[in-house]
Amino acid sequence: MSSSRRSAIIVEHLRKQQMWDAISKSKRLDGRDFGELRPLEIELDIIKKANGSARVKLGDTEVIAGVKVETGEPFEGLENKGALIVSAEVLPVASPHVEPGPPDEETVELARVVDRGIRESEMIDLEKLVLVPGKVVYTVFVDCSVINADGNLFDATSYAVVSALLSSKLPVFEMQDGKVTDTGRTQETPITTIPVSLTAVRIGDVVLVDPTAEEEACMDARITITTNSKGEFCALQKGHTGSFTIDQIKKAAEASRVKGEEIRAKIVELTGYGK
Amino acid sequence: MQEIRRKYVIPGDKIIEGNFRPLSNVIRSGNMLIATRIGIAEVGRDGAKVIPLSGVYIPRVNDLVIGKIIDHSSLSWEVDINSCFSAHLPAQDVFGRDFSPARDDMSKHLAIGDMITARILAFDRTRDPMLTLQEKDLGKIPRGELLKISATRVPRLIGKRGSMIQTIEQATQTRVLIGQNGIVVVTGRNSEGTKLAVRAIRMVEEEAHTANLTQKIRALLNVPETTQEQAPNTAPPKSQEVETAIEEVEEELEVEKGEKL
Amino acid sequence: MTQTRNLIDENGKRTDGRTIDELRPVKIKVGVVKNADGSAFIEFGRNKILAAVYGPREVHPKHMALPDRCVLRCRYHMSPFSTDTRKNPAPSRREIEISKVMREALEPALILEDYPRAAIDVFVEVLQSDGGSRCAGITAASVALADAGINMRDIVAACAAGKVDDKVVLDINDTEDKEGGADMPVAYMPHLDQVTLMQLDGVLTPEQFSECLDKAIKGCRMVYEIQKQALMQKYFGNELELKEEQ
Repeated sequence: MSSSRRSAIIVEHLRKQQMWDAISKSKRLDGRDFGELRPLEIELDIIKKANGSARVKLGDTEVIAGVKVETGEPFEGLENKGALIVSAEVLPVASPHVEPGPPDEETVELARVVDRGIRESEMIDLEKLVLVPGKVVYTVFVDCSVINADGNLFDATSYAVVSALLSSKLPVFEMQDGKVTDTGRTQETPITTIPVSLTAVRIGDVVLVDPTAEEEACMDARITITTNSKGEFCALQKGHTGSFTIDQIKKAAEASRVKGEEIRAKIVELTGYGK
Repeated sequence: MQEIRRKYVIPGDKIIEGNFRPLSNVIRSGNMLIATRIGIAEVGRDGAKVIPLSGVYIPRVNDLVIGKIIDHSSLSWEVDINSCFSAHLPAQDVFGRDFSPARDDMSKHLAIGDMITARILAFDRTRDPMLTLQEKDLGKIPRGELLKISATRVPRLIGKRGSMIQTIEQATQTRVLIGQNGIVVVTGRNSEGTKLAVRAIRMVEEEAHTANLTQKIRALLNVPETTQEQAPNTAPPKSQEVETAIEEVEEELEVEKGEKL
Repeated sequence: MTQTRNLIDENGKRTDGRTIDELRPVKIKVGVVKNADGSAFIEFGRNKILAAVYGPREVHPKHMALPDRCVLRCRYHMSPFSTDTRKNPAPSRREIEISKVMREALEPALILEDYPRAAIDVFVEVLQSDGGSRCAGITAASVALADAGINMRDIVAACAAGKVDDKVVLDINDTEDKEGGADMPVAYMPHLDQVTLMQLDGVLTPEQFSECLDKAIKGCRMVYEIQKQALMQKYFGNELELKEEQ
């Protein structure tokens, strides 16, 4: 059951005044333009025990994603495809407002939205990750831990998952005498496309991209849109209790395509993918 | 100079041995006085203490604090004072003795999110801090730029008899409200002045423990050196600079509770 | 656990090239989580562990508060990608036990009477695990507590010793933990000379027991020097000696 609750962060009226002052000059509290992202940093291969890993900093929001590959049964109805499971946890280290315990509805939404972007875009060619059709397939786990929460966990987590997958060295398994064996060789993740998500929030009449925690505390509504390398839309989620006009949604969608291309290029550059 | 001995300490470090009184952030263990926080240990005639460099603000009666209204019941407002406890401000303090929840609308007066300057009237181990606005210059803060600094740096930011903050205010044409709880509000005529004041405040926060901070602040603000803060009546010895630096730190750090409206 | 193969070669080198008295490389960085009141990141051999402290802060729910002292809450948790096989994110019994012994290791060092009716939360997150993660976690947590400005009687340093090839060795790694003869993690307050955590897993003769404990304490002292350096570095930078008044 989902119920309304009060916001964890109460924004000081002085900060709101400053925010509106800045907005009247087309700027935000941290000096950014409405359509500007915070600095993006990506560090790869930080968890040696994982098959792939990435630490992403989007402004002060920090997320670590780790890829672990095992073998298992395929999902029902998807006998000829490897299994992909994307999960996320907002660790209690990340913010004074996080209670340790099973994931709350916001964390579950975060994990599912990020998963949807990766899955629906078909980023991984899961048909290449099958050992015995219908019986034994590769299971790719991507787990994310949010280390510091300062807004826009959706995009930071998504970029971490994408970066980790782009740089992973998956094991090469083979069936030998009916048993799964690790050949010791590695392969790159079979990638078909690079999904990129972009999250924006509406505050009053303006729409701001890549919100900080403070901006999220002032938001009326939020929208996360994922596009693939061809600029097609593959996943979308509107969040929070306010609404959008149709025009705002169309503009946000267009921005996701255009900005998405820039971010995709940046991720490719920072991960050295394809080199 | 008095016999003040000083050194950098972390918890568990031995400060000094002997019959000294343990003051703030110092405990006695046998014949030793031990630091309980990271900071600068000082031994003087009245005892040994550690000036802490980190830690959440712990409320003290009579402190001036800047708080944020986060909730209200029918009888009081709940105020976030950037500490381990929420404070409360009784409605009676603002509306008077004949306050009536039916007639007096609390949120019209102070709404959630409003910032106030208040004084801590009461606080002890058994209850949450209680605030009052019954004093000149206390009340809702109408405008200004908000910053949070570590409460441990507030004495340094104020300076002895307000010297540090006055230097900043005069050089940047701003008025700076400082709460003992580390909340600071800067109001200025122009945005460049305000921005510069904010930078100066951040510099004090980061370098509170260093000796030549006042010079660095002056340099940032383009303020010429004055003779006021030099060693008053000694002939210049070879280590004049070191002497001056030590005195500055002494002056600034001796301020346990500066007051500033 | 009975050993099945030799873990120390004929030159006295262990599986990772160390001698029996050598500590793995330890690096500590202070103040790495912006939102936390105090934090530290530790690399202890191949362990990578993050510790963050929030507190003192309000207790929720309010009825859990204690009238005369602070409530200390500790959580030790491993990220799913931290181990060889992927770990389910839900807390395991092992994590629950370690959370408890960790809290009991840190509590003696904290002056909890200074913060009545408040709570101090310590979160230790293992990002990569390689034997001795509870000791590394306690070590990082102590540093994070000092960083948060909590009143402490002493810093807590932790290190394990163990038995491998029937020899007592310092700071056992993952392989030695899995295949060796005994594992003894210890947490210790160096100025007060007190042990706050101790566990044993394996078989030791009385002489080996004594030797193991002594070795672990020696390891704790080495770890303490690294903790101290990390804190001094963050707070005092290169000015390690405050100019003393004549």
